[in-house]
Amino acid sequence: MSSLSLKGIRKSYGHLEVIKGVDLDIQSKEFVVFVGPSGCGKSTLLRMIAGLEHITSGDLEIGGTRMNDVEPSRRGIAMVFQTYALYPHMTVRENMGFALRFARVPRDEIARQVQQAARILALEPLLDRYPKELSGGQRQRVAIGRAIVRNPEVFLFDEPLSNLDAELRVHMRIEIARLHKELQTTIIYVTHDQVEAMTLADKIVVLRDGVIEQTGKPLELYEDPANQFVAGFIGSPKMNFMAAAVTASGNGSVTLSLANQGGASLSVPLSGPLPAPGEKLVLGVRPEHFGPPGAGSVDIALEIDVAEHLGSISYLYANTARGEQLVIERDEGARTGAGDTLSVSIDPAHAYLFDGAGQRLR
Amino acid sequence: MSLLMLRRAGVYLFLSIAAFLSVFPFYWMAVGATNKSTEIVTGRMSPGDYLFTNFQSLLAQVDLLRIFGNSFFIAIVSTILTLAVSSLAGYGFEIFRSRVRERIFQLLLLLLSIPFAALMVPLFVMISRAQLTNTFTAVILPTIASIFIVFYFRQATKAFPGELRDAARVDGLKEWQIFLFVYLPTMRSTYAAATIIVFMGAWNNYLWPLIVLQTADNKTITLVISTLTAAYTPDYGVILLTTVLATLPTLVIFFVLQRQFVQGMLGAVK
Repeated sequence: MSSLSLKGIRKSYGHLEVIKGVDLDIQSKEFVVFVGPSGCGKSTLLRMIAGLEHITSGDLEIGGTRMNDVEPSRRGIAMVFQTYALYPHMTVRENMGFALRFARVPRDEIARQVQQAARILALEPLLDRYPKELSGGQRQRVAIGRAIVRNPEVFLFDEPLSNLDAELRVHMRIEIARLHKELQTTIIYVTHDQVEAMTLADKIVVLRDGVIEQTGKPLELYEDPANQFVAGFIGSPKMNFMAAAVTASGNGSVTLSLANQGGASLSVPLSGPLPAPGEKLVLGVRPEHFGPPGAGSVDIALEIDVAEHLGSISYLYANTARGEQLVIERDEGARTGAGDTLSVSIDPAHAYLFDGAGQRLR
Repeated sequence: MSLLMLRRAGVYLFLSIAAFLSVFPFYWMAVGATNKSTEIVTGRMSPGDYLFTNFQSLLAQVDLLRIFGNSFFIAIVSTILTLAVSSLAGYGFEIFRSRVRERIFQLLLLLLSIPFAALMVPLFVMISRAQLTNTFTAVILPTIASIFIVFYFRQATKAFPGELRDAARVDGLKEWQIFLFVYLPTMRSTYAAATIIVFMGAWNNYLWPLIVLQTADNKTITLVISTLTAAYTPDYGVILLTTVLATLPTLVIFFVLQRQFVQGMLGAVK
């Protein structure tokens, strides 16, 4: 199995630059997920790795060989598409063996490899059906089977689950994780769904506007985001952001005045350089990190706007007196509903601070 | 009677008249083929027993096998070549991007508005300079690059999923292989619809073959029908029988490809 290296990768359409210099190393057998909002360039980057888009500048290496100008079929990759892209006029068996047929692999060898992939994906009873006779989940399994048969060094998945319903998506997610364990190949997986990213990835690459915002293990990104964008993107529901101003700083901590609480004061420890008094910051708190009143160093009074009770937990969408909306996660929330008032506290140990440019202050 | 029923009755009446106007000429043609010319002229509308006599009379006048052979050869070769060239062009126009693509395409569409009558003379000069007059090549060649079929295939290609092409590229297919092994089978209903349109056009083509085909043994069925009508006392029974025979191939092709034709017209890719 191969490692990948992207060095200064750029992509332009005329004057419009969509990938603005990506440097990334992917280890052999690693499961890497590209995640980001629509239009961030994650699919384009994947297509550049596949050879379906020309690389404007930079170097792409797969297994130590420069692949910029190599045909897609000779890069040692296989790709699974969002719309499955199964050939409609071929049976499942023919779809899966199609690439091998063109690689002039002997017929009995093709049959053997198709059978093997079909067994891994439990596709054996479907081999003689046409794509239109299959359900969405089955089609996606065939698309994955078609990729497996090629025995690639690197698997590329382009939002493979976004056309499936919620239940099937969870099922296929587990299938893909199992498959990675079984096949031990390098996988690059593109999604806009951060739950998929968190559950599948060894390493997540967060992209925005053609630039990598942060790379790391899922929990690293969750617990230690590099900036406000990553903090907001990773985690569901997303992190709450509140406007704050520095009133005092020194002795490894900064004292903030919270704008939404009429200047309620909160002291947050920082190990790095301290911001100057008067500086405007953004305070981030995850929904699950609000404590009961009195447990933290500042309490916030809220009025619940909408309550979502999911059974084991509830999400409370509540407004501050100044109309800022915060999302609070509660496990005893079923007892509260819209219109109720609520008081929560912020624990400084779970508070994130971002400067005016959105960079994290640690 | 309620207003709704009245309206429905009106609709049925209108549709019945429209259906009658569409079907009656076919009925008259089929019935006419079984009657004597004098009976047709006097307005007989019921089937007669003159079919065999008309057929014998037709065989005595023309080499039917040869004429049908000519028509089939021209229509089939013309259909195959037109579909090959024009579908390739339509696919190319839609798939490959270029700065001048739209300009060239607009120019082609503009050429559609030029009537054939205006092209006839220069085309004949070209064909005769190439010493192709009185050959089937002269009939087939000008029809191959059909702008309408190029346009039709370009529109249909918009429904061809781009990811299929990407998947084929990853699978190691070259562009011509993608066209041949992925695009062509995927778009078969489009091809079926285009087959009917092109075959009918080639089969029924009259004016251009009339100009370039000069000897009797090269004539097509449409030219023969026209010759029969030009006689001093035209035998309507024979003429209508020939017309029935000339209609049959297109009718058969239409019924065979009917389902795909409808799908192709709807632009369905399944």
